[in-house]
Amino acid sequence: MGPLYKLGWFDFAYSLQVAGLIGFCFGFLLERAGFGNPRKLVAVFYLRDFAVLKVMFTAIVVCMLGLLYFSVFGWIDLSRVYLLPTYVWPQIVGGLALGVGFVMGGYCPTTSVVATVSGRLDGLVFIVGMILGSFVFAEFFPVLENLYKAGHMGQVTLSHVLGLHSGLIALFVCLMAVGAFWLVEGVEKRFGRPEALPKGSRKVKAGAALILILLGLILSLVNPDQAILKRALIQKRLMEIKEEVKETRPQAEEEQPTGFTIVEDEGC
Amino acid sequence: MNNLRYNNPYVIGVLLGLLLLFTFYTMGRGLGSSSSFARIAAGGIKAVAPDHAEENRYFSKYIRGGRSPLTAWLVFLTMGAGLGGLFSAFISNRVQGQVSRGPSIGVSARLWLALGGGVLSGFAARLARGCTSGQALTGASELAFGSWIFMFCIFAGAYGGAYFFRKEWL
Repeated sequence: MGPLYKLGWFDFAYSLQVAGLIGFCFGFLLERAGFGNPRKLVAVFYLRDFAVLKVMFTAIVVCMLGLLYFSVFGWIDLSRVYLLPTYVWPQIVGGLALGVGFVMGGYCPTTSVVATVSGRLDGLVFIVGMILGSFVFAEFFPVLENLYKAGHMGQVTLSHVLGLHSGLIALFVCLMAVGAFWLVEGVEKRFGRPEALPKGSRKVKAGAALILILLGLILSLVNPDQAILKRALIQKRLMEIKEEVKETRPQAEEEQPTGFTIVEDEGC
Repeated sequence: MNNLRYNNPYVIGVLLGLLLLFTFYTMGRGLGSSSSFARIAAGGIKAVAPDHAEENRYFSKYIRGGRSPLTAWLVFLTMGAGLGGLFSAFISNRVQGQVSRGPSIGVSARLWLALGGGVLSGFAARLARGCTSGQALTGASELAFGSWIFMFCIFAGAYGGAYFFRKEWL
């Protein structure tokens, strides 16, 4: 059952090594997609190449489905996963400003790192700019604090706000993603040079879209919120039964702890 | 000549989604990077003027607890991303010193715009508590309400701004 770190499987020092490994894969994937190249990145805003949108939406849909299925199967405890809190106004203002910064500078924060290591001076300059920008924000924090905390709604998800269960939301997100992909490929054909973009077979794309919608549909019927609640109740009942059994048979063997715990940093 | 044949974005997207899922499974949190740069700024201020850094209400959260502001999960992740990016660029023969820009803009103008975009992004990422990865990608896959607003606002801001920077790229 995850998340492993929150359940004490390893300590902070070990988590930093995990971070390095995850970061390595992250940077590798971004560079593979061409996201170290600002002309490839900003092409999405000139309707020529929607790689940014495709990568982002695909990743979101895959991870969202993974999280919901994992929690239905009882593999991850979503209540221990850090849910980003909602602050409506700073997120609107910050999002708009980050978008302008993206098309102006050619990067978003992580992609500028990938650009820098592949030898781009503009990427390095962008990083210097981000450090300066963070400094400016911190210096003006007393003035900005009201905006920074405006519109606080707590840790809410789309399903709280819309009043629908997460399975239905997941289905909508899947449908939206498939619709968006279909739309942007049409736009690419019109404004871009699709022959220069990475190819893919129509059959595979259609099949993948069908699988996505099917996975969303199953979730919308299963109702993950309900399933997670039920599982928690069943587990509670199981514990009670175990306790009762222990009481009636005191000589029963103690359960050995399973799994392993890395208490000290052991290095690689 | 640079090798500009990049991989299929859907394949990369699926792999990135699985990586994000793995991150949630192991760490109980998502990917991110922008706070690394705020931590570098905080570390810089701390080295130059420790009292000022302690007094700063925003930076003080990065230097609590006696640890260096750089001993943080996201800083290690960002360093890893640098290594991974370098490895990928290296194996595809894409490491090359250059200033990426469109055909109708000079080097110094491009660098000034990169600096301006960086300042704006660094500021915006602090205001919104994250960037495209830490807030939009991570939050959206958790279905966090604010992250979806944030993500659509990024696209709105960028499409709105694209017209003004067309000479930089096209």
